[in-house]
Amino acid sequence: MAVLGVDVGGTFTDAVLVTDSGVRTAKVRTSTRQEESALAAARAVGASALERFTHGTTVATNALLERKGARTAFVTTAGFEHMLHLRRQDRAHLYRLCENHPPPLVPLERCMGVRERLGPDRVLEPLDLGSLPELEAEAIAVCLLFSFRDPSHERAVAHELRRRHPHAHVVASHEVAPEFREYERASTAAADAYLGPALGGYLQRLGEEARARGLPEPLVMRSSGGVASLEEAAAHASWALLSGPAGGVVGAARVAASAGFEDAIAFDMGGTSTDVCLITGGVAERSVERSIAGLPIRLPSVDVHTVGAGGGSIAWVDAGGALRVGPESAGADPGPACYGAGGTRPTVTDANLLLGRLPARLPDGLELDRDAAARALGEIDPQDVVDVVNAEMLGALRVVSVERGRDPRGLALVAFGGAGPLHACALAEELGVETVLVPEAAGVLSALGLAVGDERRDHVRSVVRPLAEVPDLPDEGEADLRYRGQSFELTVSLGPDLAGRFHRLHQERYGYAARDRELELVAIRTADVRPGPELRLPPVAAATATGPALIELDGATCWLPPGWVGVRDGSGWRLTKA
Amino acid sequence: MNIQLQVVGHALRAVAEEMGAALVRSAFSANIKERRDCSTALFDARGRMVAQAEHIPVHLGAMPDAVAAVMEHRPGPDDVFVLNDPFSGGTHLPDVTLVSRTELGFAVSRAHHADVGGVEPGSMPAGSHTLAEEGVVIPPTRLDERTLEALVAQMRNPDERRGDFRAQLAAHRLAAERVSELAARHGADRVRAAMDELIAYSERVVRAGIARLPDGRYEAADVLEARDGELELRVVVTVEGSALAVDFAGTAPQHGGNLNCPLAVTRSATFFVVRCVTDPDVPASAGAFAPVSVSAPRGSLVNAEPGAAVAGGNVETSCRIVDVLFRAFGRAVDVPAQGQGTMNNLTLGSDRFTYYETLGGGQGACPDADGPSGVHVTMSNTLTTPVEALELAHPLRVRRHELRLGSGGAGRRRGGNGVVRELQALEPCRASILSDRRVHAPDGARGGEPGLPGRNLLNGKELPSKTTVDLAAGDVLRLETPGGGGWGRR
Repeated sequence: MAVLGVDVGGTFTDAVLVTDSGVRTAKVRTSTRQEESALAAARAVGASALERFTHGTTVATNALLERKGARTAFVTTAGFEHMLHLRRQDRAHLYRLCENHPPPLVPLERCMGVRERLGPDRVLEPLDLGSLPELEAEAIAVCLLFSFRDPSHERAVAHELRRRHPHAHVVASHEVAPEFREYERASTAAADAYLGPALGGYLQRLGEEARARGLPEPLVMRSSGGVASLEEAAAHASWALLSGPAGGVVGAARVAASAGFEDAIAFDMGGTSTDVCLITGGVAERSVERSIAGLPIRLPSVDVHTVGAGGGSIAWVDAGGALRVGPESAGADPGPACYGAGGTRPTVTDANLLLGRLPARLPDGLELDRDAAARALGEIDPQDVVDVVNAEMLGALRVVSVERGRDPRGLALVAFGGAGPLHACALAEELGVETVLVPEAAGVLSALGLAVGDERRDHVRSVVRPLAEVPDLPDEGEADLRYRGQSFELTVSLGPDLAGRFHRLHQERYGYAARDRELELVAIRTADVRPGPELRLPPVAAATATGPALIELDGATCWLPPGWVGVRDGSGWRLTKA
Repeated sequence: MNIQLQVVGHALRAVAEEMGAALVRSAFSANIKERRDCSTALFDARGRMVAQAEHIPVHLGAMPDAVAAVMEHRPGPDDVFVLNDPFSGGTHLPDVTLVSRTELGFAVSRAHHADVGGVEPGSMPAGSHTLAEEGVVIPPTRLDERTLEALVAQMRNPDERRGDFRAQLAAHRLAAERVSELAARHGADRVRAAMDELIAYSERVVRAGIARLPDGRYEAADVLEARDGELELRVVVTVEGSALAVDFAGTAPQHGGNLNCPLAVTRSATFFVVRCVTDPDVPASAGAFAPVSVSAPRGSLVNAEPGAAVAGGNVETSCRIVDVLFRAFGRAVDVPAQGQGTMNNLTLGSDRFTYYETLGGGQGACPDADGPSGVHVTMSNTLTTPVEALELAHPLRVRRHELRLGSGGAGRRRGGNGVVRELQALEPCRASILSDRRVHAPDGARGGEPGLPGRNLLNGKELPSKTTVDLAAGDVLRLETPGGGGWGRR
């Protein structure tokens, strides 16, 4: 077996090569042309005779954050042209009155109407394609009212636009997110159209260069935690927005499973932010909608909860005298003060160094400057900085466990990312978690997740009818259910006693169940899954450690506090309280 | 500040947030679930607010009165109290408040129920003259199964109301559990100390913000468009060091309509403005309110006597209180131009259905930014109901929903635009509109132009700002909401 995962991040590109003889990793700097970094990393890790090459990309995410997508137009039902600009009418901040949301991806002058109207159950006004205005754009999103029920008008409009504009990337909302609530569907379609040309062009170049070097056609990790073919990924760019974090969660789930834990929390603490995600029954929890760069995206994605604090976050004292950490970060440049690259403000990493939780010299050879760290912190107690950032992390870990009705005791905490293994034990104590798993490849776990991720195609069918009136549910997949009259759904796996399991989940999440109320089936979600390669990690030298101790890993350092012991076996370190 | 206390304080705030999130996601009233018209909070044993998750500002400072009212009844450890009486801890009748004990104080939830009885579906009648016409008045009452059934029986759609009560009760059980967990983990004394520190912290931050304002006495006036003529609001703001006094002397007496406010609502609006001009990020707690005193003549529009009709006070008069206060602060420091100054409340209903919505408009421009368009500008921040959700649930059709381009006032910074929304009735029903700024335009600041006033139309014919009309199948209501004022001469 030889499978390769390449994770292109903002600063570094990581590669993990899994073969029968072992795991090899490599790290290269990310260049502006991401396809070059991906192939450079593949070369650096010595990839050849590959069976599979999977890749995680930030091209779509960056194009969205930097607003470098295509010149996009938006077509909707006449009378609703401003849908993307009206959003759901909430303001961005309750008390900073002129703070605004990020502007919509399509400016007003390219938001157009077409004469037609569907109602909940019939055509109210026939489609008049002659009313479709002339437009000029590289990409076009179409979202007509009620197209989730009846896509015929929307399909006809998209067809006509493709005929008129053969070079434009046209996306119809029912193709990408056929679900009710027009604004969220329109926002998803607009993002998909806007990002399509950038991601499509990139993937095409990547595919060509991979072929030229004798590598297999790359698969692409999607937000759902499943990988798809290059062609599928290029067709719908918005599915790739969480490509990177999804790889990490998949990797964490594999690590937990190989240590005998089906249920775990993935804890990925990087330089500027931290991602946490609940893993149940060996798979990442998924959500059906999330906000990315201030825009709602209604697509299946791993249910990662992100907080804006990490190792590079800056500590400061606010007007009320409270010590705060983040969201401002020293980033990769200049980095923490102790990196000696010109940083003068105190970061979490500086505090960890002063507390003796980082070695004097990092594995990549960087000498850490203790005096610079001490100067940056000044009067601030480094333990206070760690306590404050831990409180922030603890909040995030509780959101994905306790607040969803899951008792964290009995779960394993899988710690990775550059800073995760430094903070994991203290957090585990607070949460009552007994086992912390730190993979050997803690610094490159996302790439490992890519290497072994399942292939997955998600399908959704919008229903919005009483559950009792829907015959013939599929045997496998998930149902979005709610009590009739509610606005938020809970996702329950299909199978026997669907209603009973919904009541129980509702009780777990919200503290009550209304067994006498009618249930409404909002959507059915199914997926075709082809399992990824099995992860058979070669045995490593056994070792043990007793806290207090530092354990050096590939791309990360682990802090084992007093009272903790660590055992190295199989895929990494298992840390427990003595 | 002691870091351990800060960490426990963080956890207390998280409990209030978690209560709120659970309530929104499991409730049945559109007002709670789609529009997030609800708030949750923790109080200490002395009845001081410790942490609040407010989704809309109108609940900001009005909860302490509810806890004070319940404390008079000496609640036992397992008691849950319910109230909505605006003159005994409430705001307006649809806001139903629950107060329960926790190991270390109280938990409170306030949620806008879709209906609490009264003469009009939705319990937001445009033409009420007494409180009793607006719905069931609930003084602080122990809530058990029997009381609950007796209450919902007096409301439309009792089954849905029962669902909302259950969602609220579940949020209270959650709060009690979480507070006990915190006490067990950190020790009750430390959690109490953290509560004290949260309160002291907010007070320090707000005092520092007030101290930055120039000392002085700042006066302003503004008007509200009532059915029976214009009502004037007057205010004097006195800044002295790190304390602030707000006095509404000279404001019109309470009137025969429903624009009256209990003092709790007037206080909320005041705290909103103080927060905007001092520190927008200060955590809400009793300390944040401590440096501010609010007074208003008894029997005035902004401190009405018990029994007065108040349906419009909470939603419309509160907006004008904000406007008049910003105008007064504007004499001391730069503040935003006036926003739409109304929530454009529209209730449609019959024996078969009730639907309530509010519409955004233009925010006034700020010295450093244009005003956002199509948003709620002051005491509300509720969402629109999706067209597809609305039409699936009610015999209504949305014909048009768009920005009202050109309605924002010009200036160095532009005011935000209002919106246009057309709703068609598919079967006979009644419509109640409670809106304002249909005559007086939102004002610009520092030479900026005013925004356009709003309009209400029925089949193209102009309606007044506050009205109740019968709709036949096919009738079309069109609301055009006001634009915000511009900032600075162009």
